[in-house]
Amino acid sequence: MRRVAAILVVAALALVAVIVATAQAGTKTTTVTLAGWSAGADEDQLLQSIVNTFEKTHPGIKVDYSVINGDYTTAMTARFAAHNPPDVFYVDSSLASTWASQGVLQPLNSYIKSSKFDTSKFYPSLLGAFTVGKSIYGFPKDWSPLAMEINKGMLGAAHATVPKNWAQLRAAAQKIQAAGVLPSGAKPICLSADWARMLPFVFQNGGSLANITSPAAVAAVNFYVGLIKSGLANTPDKLGSGWCGEALGKQKAAIIFEGNWLLPFMASTYPGIQYGVFPMVSQKTGGNLAFTVSYSLAKDSKNKQAAWTLLSWLTGQKGQTLWMSKGLALPSRTDVKAIGGRKNFLIAAKYAHGWGFPHFATAYTIMNNDLSAVITGGKTVQQMLSDAAAAMKG
Amino acid sequence: MAAAATPVPPRNSLFGARLREAGWGYAFVAVPMAVFGLFFIYPFGYALYISFFHWGILGKQPGTGSIGFHNYHQVINDHVFRTAIKNTLEYTAGVLPLEMAMGLLMALVVNQSIRGQKFWRAAFYFPSLASSVAITTIALYLAASDGLINRVFGTTTPWFTTASTATWAIVVLNAWTTSGTVMLFYLAALQSIPTDVYEAASVDNTSTWRTFWRITFPLLRPAHFFVLVVFGIGALKVFDQQYLASGGTGGPNYSTYTAVLYIYREAFQAFDFGMAAAAGTVIFIGIFVLTVVQRLTVGRGEAA
Amino acid sequence: MATAAASSQPYIPGRARSELIRKGIAYGALVVIAAIFFVPFLWSIITSFKTLPDSVNVTLIPHPWTTAAWREVWSQYHFGTYIKNSLFLAVVVTSCNMFLAGLGGYAFARLRFPGRELLFLLVLGTLMVPDQLRLIPVFVMLTNWHLIASFKGYILINLVTATNLFFMRQYFLTIPKDFEEAAKLDGAGYFKTFWRVMLPLALPAIAALTILQFQGTWNDFFWPLILFGQGSPHLYTIQLGLAEFTITYQTSWPDLMAGSVIAILPILAIFVAFQRYFIAGQVSAGVKG
Repeated sequence: MRRVAAILVVAALALVAVIVATAQAGTKTTTVTLAGWSAGADEDQLLQSIVNTFEKTHPGIKVDYSVINGDYTTAMTARFAAHNPPDVFYVDSSLASTWASQGVLQPLNSYIKSSKFDTSKFYPSLLGAFTVGKSIYGFPKDWSPLAMEINKGMLGAAHATVPKNWAQLRAAAQKIQAAGVLPSGAKPICLSADWARMLPFVFQNGGSLANITSPAAVAAVNFYVGLIKSGLANTPDKLGSGWCGEALGKQKAAIIFEGNWLLPFMASTYPGIQYGVFPMVSQKTGGNLAFTVSYSLAKDSKNKQAAWTLLSWLTGQKGQTLWMSKGLALPSRTDVKAIGGRKNFLIAAKYAHGWGFPHFATAYTIMNNDLSAVITGGKTVQQMLSDAAAAMKG
Repeated sequence: MAAAATPVPPRNSLFGARLREAGWGYAFVAVPMAVFGLFFIYPFGYALYISFFHWGILGKQPGTGSIGFHNYHQVINDHVFRTAIKNTLEYTAGVLPLEMAMGLLMALVVNQSIRGQKFWRAAFYFPSLASSVAITTIALYLAASDGLINRVFGTTTPWFTTASTATWAIVVLNAWTTSGTVMLFYLAALQSIPTDVYEAASVDNTSTWRTFWRITFPLLRPAHFFVLVVFGIGALKVFDQQYLASGGTGGPNYSTYTAVLYIYREAFQAFDFGMAAAAGTVIFIGIFVLTVVQRLTVGRGEAA
Repeated sequence: MATAAASSQPYIPGRARSELIRKGIAYGALVVIAAIFFVPFLWSIITSFKTLPDSVNVTLIPHPWTTAAWREVWSQYHFGTYIKNSLFLAVVVTSCNMFLAGLGGYAFARLRFPGRELLFLLVLGTLMVPDQLRLIPVFVMLTNWHLIASFKGYILINLVTATNLFFMRQYFLTIPKDFEEAAKLDGAGYFKTFWRVMLPLALPAIAALTILQFQGTWNDFFWPLILFGQGSPHLYTIQLGLAEFTITYQTSWPDLMAGSVIAILPILAIFVAFQRYFIAGQVSAGVKG
């Protein structure tokens, strides 16, 4: 009798063990790696907490979030080459088409179809920055255009009004300069020797990248460079700064054109400066750039389905709302609200062109080096524009 | 090591002794050569191979075969590459003599039994201690148009971002930070010069200058060769400072574009690894030729 | 300024005073030079005690004075762990280097074997390959061998460098052959000669290379970032930790300065500790004795 009981107990235990084992096998967790660069400790912590929220609502998926604190592009390129990339990662809009053509990004179309994801909620120009032909290679996670930021004190002391177009911009600068409110070495306007800051002016004059040698483009560049040559503006390094945001903070410039990233910087490093955020000037039309970054899926990812779940959640309505809570960037979806005080960035959405162009790396180097030569007088505007056209053609 | 009661019998044959010596020689260099082979020579061979293809991140571009010397043609005819080479050679010609002279001078100074010798050694070596990123960041700050340096001299030039001064600013910066390292090598080398040499010179009442020039300087020849080669190659490979000062663009107006920046941009911004490899090979050949020239001139007659 | 010569110089009137003036100028110049060399470091220390808004002012006194940066760096950013990691790597890489470079350098300087000159040329050749060019092949290799995301790959590729081996060779060339001949007469084999006789004689060279290799590994940013600096914060070195403070548009200066000061102290200590091996006369004492 006892022997039979013993056998039954063992059998029961064995059965329980088998059941438990199969149950665990059914709920095996997948680990998805998420990688990006850092834009500050605040941002990193926010993303980590959002990821934790995701894990709570998706028990089968663990997310391994890591920050690459150095040369992001080089580190990612090495990972791609070794066929060992993170599953989900940031892609800057300027790099998107290049990485897509290199074959390291996974087209999302099939996943969009099978999960019935609604891509119409993304601003078209932003989604377009990550679309090549019919293939979508990532969803924009946020964006920022350029706006005009002006030192309120200096503007008021010079009795100048907020400019809305080029003529008014020049007039305001002249007033500020004449009023003597600028400290020594300062200029009314800070302009970077960078196509990422000059290009909006080309768009504002009706020019385009496709036809970059047009008279409209020439006139726009002449206006931009002319402000510097006439002494109303200067490049940041001549104003003792690394970029125009620093110039605004150090009060070496009264008017600058920077994006949403200026706000956390000013709040933490130059909290005493009173400045206002105003819409970017326009001329024949509005013109602006959309700096945007996507979450993309790696072609060589080993966990594509789980990675897609993470990606679509992060750029979905819920995930993006959480991301916007600290106001570090603007929403790329029409169904997500930005935090207060960002109105003058958001109204630029209509006229913002995605930042990037063909053969980006090579062309950008040539275009910027030429621009610095044009500013110092070593090259003509026409030469630079024809160099740009040739470089973008490849 | 106690002397044997009877002298050690001679080896069986000269050939056997030579064989043993060669065996030990190979044994001693085996691990270093393995490391160098795996992590330098093989990668270079790999680069050489891919320079004949259109090579992307994931390898050969699908549907293409060898393109012969196409990449090399592109590289050599690229005016940006030529400017990069010119900038690099100018930089090297400026920084190398400066580093060597300063390093040697400082080594001679701190080699004397002057008061606070240890302190001076630390002081001169100090700029070399910090990482290149840290030091460059500080230098950019000090040389800003309203920075300390300009305030002292009453100027307003942003030295690192003005086309005409950028290279020279970096020459000064790197000479300042690297001379400490050169000093260390010369200091070590000076220790191997027996002091009786100096004693003999002072008995003859030779002047300090003569002692240095006729005795010390020639005896430092192995060190000179080392410094010339290592720091010369280092100068030809310069990258960090130009990258940081120009924000990666090599500007303004290509003034800070160096040879390695060209490789970097082709590889990690344009993702054209075939071109990067071709540029790298061209640069390697250039450095190799220069080094061989150095070997034949300064390094002559020193083999054991 | 040779001290040996001072006592044997004949007395010449006025020499004492001109000597004093010369010394004065020399010391004055040294002080100015040292000041120039130290100023950035002083500025770093001062900045580390400021708040972020105050850190952009060019003032010598922090206003307000705060130790927030130091506390943040140590607790929030785990600098204790980073120091431990950097220390481990620096010690391991430096020790391996000294042994292997010494061994290889001695062989290239003193042992004859066929192909020696060609192999040495290859060694010099490795100096000419920029990191950017060899990054991808090396990284792919290490990934395939599963040596990424740990210290193993990094240590492997840094076991020995051409610079160290080259310098040891040059140094061994300057040591008179008498020592090896004496050792040979005593019946010492090749390794024993190297380990017991040649290496101790090369102490100044070892000291110099120890300082430089320790510092090189300590300050290395590029390879640690690529090989184990992604997704493994527990493996971060000090330089990777410092990079957490330098973000475009958001550099946190006081934290960065505090971290930088912490980063520099250990290698300064190594320098001070090892520089006492720069003692002249080792070689001559050996020959006479």
